[in-house]
Amino acid sequence: MTQQPLFAVVGHPNKGKSSVVATLSQNDAIAIALEPGTTRARQAYPLSVDGRQLYTLVDTPGFQRPRRVLQWLEAHSLSASDHPETVRAFVLQHRGDDRYVDECELLTPIIEGAGIIYVVDGSVPYSAEHEAEMNILRWSGRPSLALINSIGDDDYSDTWQSALGQFFQVVRKFDAVRAPFEQHLSLLKAFGQLEPDWEQTLAQATDLLAQQRHQRRHQAASLIARALEDMMAYQERRTLTLDQVAGTSDASLAETLRDRWYQHQRKREQTLRVNVEHLYQHQRIQRQEAELAWASQHDLFSDDTRNHWAVSKKYLAGAGFGAGAMGGAGIDAATFGSSLGAGALVGGLIGAAGSYFYGDRLILPALRIGPLKDGLKSASFGPVQDSQFGYVVLGRAVDHWWHISHRNHAGRDLLELEPADQHWLERLDKSSRREIQKAFDRCRKQKPLSHQQRHNLASAIEQSLAVYDDWRLNRP
Amino acid sequence: MSHNPLRLLLDFDDRIQRDRDQAPAFLHRRDRRFALDCQQQGIRPDAAAWLQQMARLSGPGNGRQAGKDIEQRWRRIHGGFVVAGAMFGILMMAGLLFYDGGQRINMTVLLAFVLLQLLLAAATTVQALAGWQPWGWLQRRLQKQPPGQTLARLQPLLMARAAHTGGTAFATTGLLTLLVLLVVQDLAFGWSTTLDTAAQGYHALIQAIATPWGWLWPAAVPSQDLIEATRFFRAAPASPTTTPAAQWGQWWPFAVMLWLTWVLIPRLLLLAFSHWLVRHRSNDLLQRHPGMQALAWRMETPTLDTGNQHNDAGDLPDTSTRTTPVALSDARHIVCWAGAGEPELPQPLLGDGATALKAGGRASLAEDDQVLTTLASKLARDPSPAIVVVTRSWEPPTGELHDFLDHARAQWPANTRVLILPLAANANEAPANHLIQPWLRFTERLPTGFTQVALLPSLPDNPYQTGAEQP
Repeated sequence: MTQQPLFAVVGHPNKGKSSVVATLSQNDAIAIALEPGTTRARQAYPLSVDGRQLYTLVDTPGFQRPRRVLQWLEAHSLSASDHPETVRAFVLQHRGDDRYVDECELLTPIIEGAGIIYVVDGSVPYSAEHEAEMNILRWSGRPSLALINSIGDDDYSDTWQSALGQFFQVVRKFDAVRAPFEQHLSLLKAFGQLEPDWEQTLAQATDLLAQQRHQRRHQAASLIARALEDMMAYQERRTLTLDQVAGTSDASLAETLRDRWYQHQRKREQTLRVNVEHLYQHQRIQRQEAELAWASQHDLFSDDTRNHWAVSKKYLAGAGFGAGAMGGAGIDAATFGSSLGAGALVGGLIGAAGSYFYGDRLILPALRIGPLKDGLKSASFGPVQDSQFGYVVLGRAVDHWWHISHRNHAGRDLLELEPADQHWLERLDKSSRREIQKAFDRCRKQKPLSHQQRHNLASAIEQSLAVYDDWRLNRP
Repeated sequence: MSHNPLRLLLDFDDRIQRDRDQAPAFLHRRDRRFALDCQQQGIRPDAAAWLQQMARLSGPGNGRQAGKDIEQRWRRIHGGFVVAGAMFGILMMAGLLFYDGGQRINMTVLLAFVLLQLLLAAATTVQALAGWQPWGWLQRRLQKQPPGQTLARLQPLLMARAAHTGGTAFATTGLLTLLVLLVVQDLAFGWSTTLDTAAQGYHALIQAIATPWGWLWPAAVPSQDLIEATRFFRAAPASPTTTPAAQWGQWWPFAVMLWLTWVLIPRLLLLAFSHWLVRHRSNDLLQRHPGMQALAWRMETPTLDTGNQHNDAGDLPDTSTRTTPVALSDARHIVCWAGAGEPELPQPLLGDGATALKAGGRASLAEDDQVLTTLASKLARDPSPAIVVVTRSWEPPTGELHDFLDHARAQWPANTRVLILPLAANANEAPANHLIQPWLRFTERLPTGFTQVALLPSLPDNPYQTGAEQP
């Protein structure tokens, strides 16, 4: 039986070995620091499919005494043919020796048959001083690949590339923090090319990873759709007894309800954020985002938020026309088409006009305070009648998703979500716009969405994710 | 676990609702595991088996049984319909056949009533197919919470099924009442109508109605003679001399078969149809349930674990430093470690009589030893021995430098001061602070007082200068 592929990620201390492993294993809980010696022992990160391991990445500490190791190897070898055996002998002899703990840790997976992934930092000048390390790796006789990571801003990768080419079969550039997902897959495929037996396994792994990523986008859209449905339909209610009515003015009651409504919405939005992060296996992100806020009692959001995430009147009119036309088409259907489509046209125009003139305002008051009845008084705030609320929540959610889906697990910096300065949603196709608007309308009328409508909303949001992705990648 | 499709659908829907807040990765793992177990045991992983597995793993005493609760509620509704239908059946038939001896029982009224029953039965079925809920308002008032989407789509069918059950009870007790009354009373049937209808026409109608059983029980098809003989007019009571008394009773087989064939059997058929419809629609809704599609995907798609269990994020090295760099003062003896200072050393290091030796990196260990010996002899003659070890700030200190300094400490005079000078990639710039920190911590790990980190003096108008002339 062929041994499953094993890759030892090795190199000089502090060159980003753990970052490479963190990104490829999608693990943001690996200790990464700008401090040599952060990794003190080798650690295996297996990729498993249904519990069956496909390949394993092994993170290792950096070389500490390469010249001394090389000297030992040279002193114990007679010819090139005994080099791998000599490396094995070195590890066996120095196990437990404090001086060579790191070397033994990093050489152990290699003598056990691992392919070598040698990581260097392409943002610092090439140094021939690493040759002892590269020679040791060459002595092991294992297939090898050099990876030029970039920790800093400078770029010396070309000189590194030509120098590493003399020692390694394959040399690749890979920025562990910034490389897009396609490059992760391409790198894994390159790992598979180190040995013919590994190629198929790595190809299978990359296919599954690509499939998983596709599915995650789908699941993220469903999570966002559900949050939107919840938030658009949410109503904060309170029933007051006679005593409570006496001690509470309508104004303070309204204030309390509004505050509680906002608190709930913010909490729901945060739950969505965490759900999306966990979906992409980001468990430890520190996030900074302007919270849902409003400028005055008459406006749900500050002008800034509107400008950044809300859609234009023109957009609303278009979506409103679509939703209205759908209602009008019902009239046409009821008259068996004898209205010659006039129903759809009139319905569309009414929908468009309503959306244009009232789309960005509270169409109906969200606050309702009922009369005193049977010694009780009920008051409610919500559902929000302004569909812009949904678009703002959607814009923020899609932006967050984008950052999360493009964030590598080696990233440890603060995730800052800044508002977009364009109405990216306006690139969305008409049918998706209509589905989103229809869902918003139903939610604010407190009508539950059917399975089909829920599915359509999630599909429209998935389309929005694709549009936003495209917009972010191609914006000037 | 029940294999009743309705119960299955309701339980499945409830389970999917409960799974709503679960992490997708967990659901995928759980359901894929179930599918693989099924595959191993040669079982087809369908919804029933899946629910059974969930219930088994949950253990006994699981209080939530949405399907069972709903089923029980509908059973109670059915019971109500049966009781009401049975009572109405008795009362209606007793009323229809009320006979005080002075009046005939008009078969035309019975025929009209049967027609009404048929229309009601058909309307119930149409209502179910069209999705109407004739007593939905009552249902809404009785239910504690509004039905979920899945149940809401089934309610018209369930209502029709309940109505057909009540209708069947009605038809059955009606028939039984008819039979009882036939036994305990002598009923006189006749026919009457205000319309100007000849007995021949009425006979044709009766024959058409009796077609289904005519071949089976000819006696239950009234003859033309009987029809002619048993017509009566309320204004002119039939004379006992023209119509024999026995003839008035000869209608009963027809009345029994009429009720049986056109009321009870259609109801039974429609009841069976409504049962089938509920099962069929339940199956259909289950197959088209979004949760079912998601479950099928989770069962079919392999789970991928990218190796993210290991967590040592909290196990970071101590990065606090107690020391600070000192200003470079004396630089007569210099060691360039691992290629540092190439191609040129900074100007302040090129003082009068300064000697620079190379160690580490590409130099061999023997060359390192040679450097140590050379410096040991030079330092022995120096009253205040000091050495500057120039390093590359971006290449962190390794064990080899540690060994080198350990050996130096053993060979050099005890009062030797060792200054480690980390240089930036561009010697004209100061190294970044985060690059100096590891060097400070490195010196802290060495014996106290032996080494210190030094920095080149930095003056605003006198930036670092290398040995090369600055433009």
